[in-house]
Amino acid sequence: MATFLIEDVTKTFTNGEVEEQILKGVDLTLKEGEMTALIGPSGSGKSTILTIAAGLQRATDGEILFEGKDMTKMSQEEIRQVRASEFGFVFQSSHLVPFLTVEEQLLLMLDVAESKLTKKEQEKEVDKILKLVEMDHRKDAYPASLSGGERQRIAIARAIIHRPKILFADEPTASLDTKRSKDVMELLRQLTKTLKLTTLMVTHDEEMLPYVDRIITMRDGYIEE
Amino acid sequence: MKIAWKEMRKNKTKFLILGSIIFLVSFLTFIISGLANGLSQDNAALIKDLPEGQFYLNENAKQTYNLSKIDTGLQEEIVKEHPQATAFSVQMGFVNDVEDKQHSVAFLTSTESDVFEDVREGEILLDSSLKEDGIRVGDVLTNNQFSGEFTVKGFVDKKKYSHAPVAYINITNYQEMYRVMEMQTIFIPGKDAPAYNGLESFSNKTFLNAIPSYSAEQMSLNMIIWFLVVISGMLFAIFFYMMNVQKIGLYGILKAIGMKTIALFKMIWFQMIAITLVALSLSIGLSQFFNFVAPEGMPFHLSLDTVLMLSAVFLIVGFVGATISGFQIKKIEPLQAIQQGEM
Repeated sequence: MATFLIEDVTKTFTNGEVEEQILKGVDLTLKEGEMTALIGPSGSGKSTILTIAAGLQRATDGEILFEGKDMTKMSQEEIRQVRASEFGFVFQSSHLVPFLTVEEQLLLMLDVAESKLTKKEQEKEVDKILKLVEMDHRKDAYPASLSGGERQRIAIARAIIHRPKILFADEPTASLDTKRSKDVMELLRQLTKTLKLTTLMVTHDEEMLPYVDRIITMRDGYIEE
Repeated sequence: MKIAWKEMRKNKTKFLILGSIIFLVSFLTFIISGLANGLSQDNAALIKDLPEGQFYLNENAKQTYNLSKIDTGLQEEIVKEHPQATAFSVQMGFVNDVEDKQHSVAFLTSTESDVFEDVREGEILLDSSLKEDGIRVGDVLTNNQFSGEFTVKGFVDKKKYSHAPVAYINITNYQEMYRVMEMQTIFIPGKDAPAYNGLESFSNKTFLNAIPSYSAEQMSLNMIIWFLVVISGMLFAIFFYMMNVQKIGLYGILKAIGMKTIALFKMIWFQMIAITLVALSLSIGLSQFFNFVAPEGMPFHLSLDTVLMLSAVFLIVGFVGATISGFQIKKIEPLQAIQQGEM
């Protein structure tokens, strides 16, 4: 079942009098329970399409349909609400809050997503997700005391704690060594299947492609499937 | 608010430094304010303690008390019309005690009145601060402008004028000493402010400015107080601005995952209020303690009302400072933060 449609999306950046079209009409359908990787050379527009789909920047033209609603027509506040409750994000760096423990990072995300769970239910949910990412033993640790791989696992836990429908991952393994990168990819794949997520990932690393269901190559602002 | 509190707990040193600065600035403000109030009492307790009313000076006196002379005829007319009105004069001078030691005083005389002490000829009533100089009831004091002697009849509490203790003397003695028949001022208690030809009227507050040096002294001290208040607001603005610059990446990520900008503002406000309340509580406690232990000769008076009013101002100014620094949060683009490296 299709949950996310990107239709004829264009993006033009203006720098003074110079206009540069980064996306030249991109169509993409993301499916539930499917992990899609966007690959392509630098400047091909893969990160731009990911950030537009995630509501982090506006498309110049085209439609982005999430559960039948066109995100390009939504207000900033409506987009924020979608980001908070329906989307999950994993970035190149873990971007954890340095003064919060692992448990507090996840509770904060539930708070941001305006979770209806009670405090006890939230704590249970945190325990459950930490077990899922095999980090339950570091519940009280601060980010500074975690390894790069552990931090990325916590970032993934934070991205899924509020049970989003779509998971966006921008180069999630870029700052990790090969072994840790593979662990993280395995985890993302497993979560996509178990939680029936729709995952869109940007990567440069071809070694990570065996973990995804679908590979989309971008070149010069177009999709080359 | 939890996130704000957690940050303060994790970064104790950073917040402790800001708190200490706010504590020192607010404590200094309270002390200077206490000094300003104390000096104001020392300078004009005689006038400040009078009930609400109207003061009249000669309109040619250029609003300067020392230059005023009230026409005797007009004075009698006013006193007749308003039986509670009183004409009075104050002049700086000195008295010599039994050991021939000189003491500065402000000689005050008035027509019969409910607001000033009445003394008979040859008698003098002094502010109690002169007791510390060894003057006792019954002592005989002299003045080289006065042919007779003054016998100390008693003491009154906290009656100062122009930083000198007040000495109440009889009108006849005053006229001999200063060779002047006219009084300087007329005071009519109450809210009515009748107009008189040739006289200019002043409220209690505006009359204080007619006392030489009063407004200059108070203006300088008040300027210091308000500068300190503004500095504290700027401290908040600068501190939170620096912190925000360091946390642009973090704020960007929090915005990217859907946190509302207002939640980030609330975080700053919570921290600012927490720091200010702790700093103010300490400085209020310490300044009130200072109120009790300040040396006798130090003109220091800090009322709780003044402290609470200044505390409210500190909170408002701190809030404004923190909010101004927070405007940059509004401008943060989540996308930029994501494209930056690790925080």
